[in-house]
Amino acid sequence: MFYRSHPAMGTIFTICLYAVDRHQADADFEIAFEDIDRLDSTLSNYRPESELSRINRTAAREPVTTDPEVFDFIQRSMDYSHRSNGAFDITVGPLMRAWGFFRGQGHYPSPTELANARTSVGWQHVALDPTLRTVRFEVPGMELDPGGIGKGFAVDSVADLLRANGVTSALIDAGSSSIYALGAPPHEQGWKVQIPRPEDRTKSISTVFLRDLSLSTSGNYEKFFWLNGKLYCHIMDPRTGEPVQGVLQTTVITPRAVDSDALSTAMFVMGPVSGVKLLKTVTGASGLWVLGNLKATHIVEWHWPVNVSGTAYASGDMHRSIPRHFEADRSKPRGGNI
Amino acid sequence: MMNRREFFGKTAGALAAVSVLSSAKNTFPVPPSDQINLGIIGPGSRGQSLMRAFLRVPGVRFAALCDVYEPRFAQARKITGEETPIYKDYRLLLDAKNLDAIVVSTPLSFHEEHVTASLESGRHVYGEKDMAKTVASCDHVYQAVKRNGKHYQLGTQYHYAPWFVEALQRIRAGKLGEITQIYAYWHRNNNWRRPVPDPKDKALERLINWRLYREFSGGLLAELGTHQILFALEVLGTLPESVIGTGGIDYWKDGREVPDNVQVVYRFPGGKILFFSSITTNRFEGMKICVYGTGGTIVLTEARGTAYYEPATKNSSVPEKLIVEHGIVTTASFRAEVPYTGPGETIRVPEDKNGSPDFLACQSFIDCVRNNRHPGADELSGWKSGVSVALGNQAIDSGEKVVFAEHAKLPG
Repeated sequence: MFYRSHPAMGTIFTICLYAVDRHQADADFEIAFEDIDRLDSTLSNYRPESELSRINRTAAREPVTTDPEVFDFIQRSMDYSHRSNGAFDITVGPLMRAWGFFRGQGHYPSPTELANARTSVGWQHVALDPTLRTVRFEVPGMELDPGGIGKGFAVDSVADLLRANGVTSALIDAGSSSIYALGAPPHEQGWKVQIPRPEDRTKSISTVFLRDLSLSTSGNYEKFFWLNGKLYCHIMDPRTGEPVQGVLQTTVITPRAVDSDALSTAMFVMGPVSGVKLLKTVTGASGLWVLGNLKATHIVEWHWPVNVSGTAYASGDMHRSIPRHFEADRSKPRGGNI
Repeated sequence: MMNRREFFGKTAGALAAVSVLSSAKNTFPVPPSDQINLGIIGPGSRGQSLMRAFLRVPGVRFAALCDVYEPRFAQARKITGEETPIYKDYRLLLDAKNLDAIVVSTPLSFHEEHVTASLESGRHVYGEKDMAKTVASCDHVYQAVKRNGKHYQLGTQYHYAPWFVEALQRIRAGKLGEITQIYAYWHRNNNWRRPVPDPKDKALERLINWRLYREFSGGLLAELGTHQILFALEVLGTLPESVIGTGGIDYWKDGREVPDNVQVVYRFPGGKILFFSSITTNRFEGMKICVYGTGGTIVLTEARGTAYYEPATKNSSVPEKLIVEHGIVTTASFRAEVPYTGPGETIRVPEDKNGSPDFLACQSFIDCVRNNRHPGADELSGWKSGVSVALGNQAIDSGEKVVFAEHAKLPG
C-alpha cells in the first residue's frame, strides 16, 4: 500500500492506495492531488483569485456566468438547501463571520452583528439560471461558503479520476471528515473506519467497513467557545442564526461523498427526527447521531450498518437509543456494499 | 518505435474520412451575435484548464474539440457539459462553419502549424505559450497574424494577473528607480512528468509527456520561463542583446531528452540583466520574479506581489572638519552586509479587477474578439518572448554566447 498526504482546502487530504509499484502509485497520486489543488483553487472562499470568490464579489451586482462544474457544485448545494428546508445552506458565511468562526475560534456576536448577518443569509436568495449558467445574489452581502460540501465534492472527483485510471483499491480522506472507500484492501471486506466518541476521540463508538461508499462526520469539537457554561460550536443553524445545541457529532454514509458531506451537516442541524425524513430520500444512506452534552450523551442511528452497542463506547456514560419509528425502516434494503 | 509525428499522422490518416466522430449531431442553433463559439485543438491538461476559464465568460461555448488522444474527448465533454462535436484532424475542425475563434494548446512543435492554419481559416487565435519552437517558426506565426488581420493572443495568463499589471505600472512610473537586474525562478520538486496509463507504451509516453522530448518541446525554458521572460521584456522594453546558458539532465535520468534544470542569463542594452533558473529538485523559490531597481524591489509570485522600497539614505550632517581634525577612533567591529527587506508592501489589487489569471486572460481575449480590440499579449509579445526562449535554448545547447542580432529580426 502507498500513502501520501497533501494540504488543501484548509485541511490535509490523505490517500492510501494499492498499486503494482511505486512508479504507478506516484502517477496516481499526481493525478489525484493535482485535481484536489485544482478544485481548491476553484472553490476556495479564502483565495481572492478563486472562481467562488469571483462569484461572491460579483453576483450581488450582476448575474455571474460560471463553468458547468462550478455551476453543478452550486446547484447541488442549493438542492440540499431545498431538501433540508434550509438546514444545510452554503450562504451561511456571514453568520460564520458574525460568530467569529471564519478565521478564529469564535465569539458571541452583538445583536446588530447578528441581525446584519442574518439579512445576508438564505439560499432562497441565490438565483440560478441553468440555461445561461449564471449565479445571482438577490440580497447584498451574500457569499457562498463551500465548507459543508466542498471536500466531499473534491473526494468524489478524485475517486472518479482514480477509478478511471485503473485504481481498484484506495481510501481518500479529506481531513478525516469526508472519506471515500474505493473498493477494499486485498482480502478485506472493506476499508475500516472508526467513528470516535466526541468527548474522547481516542475511543470508538462504532467501526464500519466501507467498500465503494463514502462517510462524512460533523462534530462540535472542531471550532467552539464556551460562554456561561454553554458550548457554542461552529455549525450554524441558518434558520435561527445560532450555533446548533444538543448535538455532538453526526456521521452519514452514502455512495457519494458530496452527499455524505452535505448530509452530515444537515443531520447535525436537523437532528434525527426530521433528519431521517431526508436520509430516506437518498439511496443507500445511513446516519449516526451523538446527542446530548459531554456529561450525558446518547446515540441515535438510522440504518447504521453495524450494531452500535457492540463497539467500544459501551463502558462510558452513553446509552443507545433507537426510537421506535426508526426501527420500522430497518427492514428496507440498503444501497452499497458494506 | 512510433514517434509522435507518426502517431499523429497515422491517427489523422486513419480517421480523415470521418469528419465528425461523434454520433451527436451539431444541433447548435445559428449563434446569436453575442455568442462566441470556440474550437479547441489540444484539450489536454492545459487545454482543459483554459476551457474551464473560457466557459466562465458570458456567451462562450465550445463548439468543437480536436485531439489525437481519444480519452481527451470524454474529459473535455465533461467540462463543456454537452456532447460537443469532436474531431481527430484539426483541418476538419477548421472546416466547421460555426467557429469564431480557435484555442490552440497543442505541443509546442505544432504551434506554428496549428496557429497559422487557424489564422488562415479566418479565425482569431488564442495560442498557448510560447508562440513557436524556433525563431523561423515565430517569424511565420507573426507574419500569418499580420497577413490575415486576425487577433492573436499569446496564452500567458500572468500578463493579465492584476498584481503583475499593477507592478508593471509602478515600475514604469519609476517607483523602483532604474531597473538593473531581474532574477526569475520557476523551481519545482517533482519529475515534471504526467502519468501515462500504460507506461510501456512508448508512443503514448511521448504523446502525453511531450514536454520531455526535444522533438516537441522547448523544455523548462519554454514551458515555464516564457511567463517571466515576457514580463522582463515588458519591464526592460527591448529585446536582449545576448544570452548565455547552461542546463542538463542531471537528476531525473529517466529517458527524457530535455534538461531537468536550466539557468540562463540574458544581457540587455545598458548592461541590464535577466537571470532565469528552473530546477526540478527543490521548490523553495517556487515561481518568483524579483525586479531590482535602484529605488527598490518588487517580488511577484503566482498569487501576489510585494514591493520593498530601499530606505532613503540621508546626507551626513557631520562636519568634515570634525572628522578631519579629530580623526576617527578605531575599534574592533564586524558588520555583515545585511540585506534590506523590511516588511514589504503588498501590492493591492482593486477588488473589481481581481480574479484568476487564466480567467482574466480568457475574458480579455473574448472581449478582443467580440469588440475587435487588440490583445495585450499580442503577436509582438509572442514573437519577442518566443525568440528569446528559442535563443536561450540555443545557448544552453551550445554552451556558447548567442547574440540576438545574428539570429533574430522582427519580420517586416
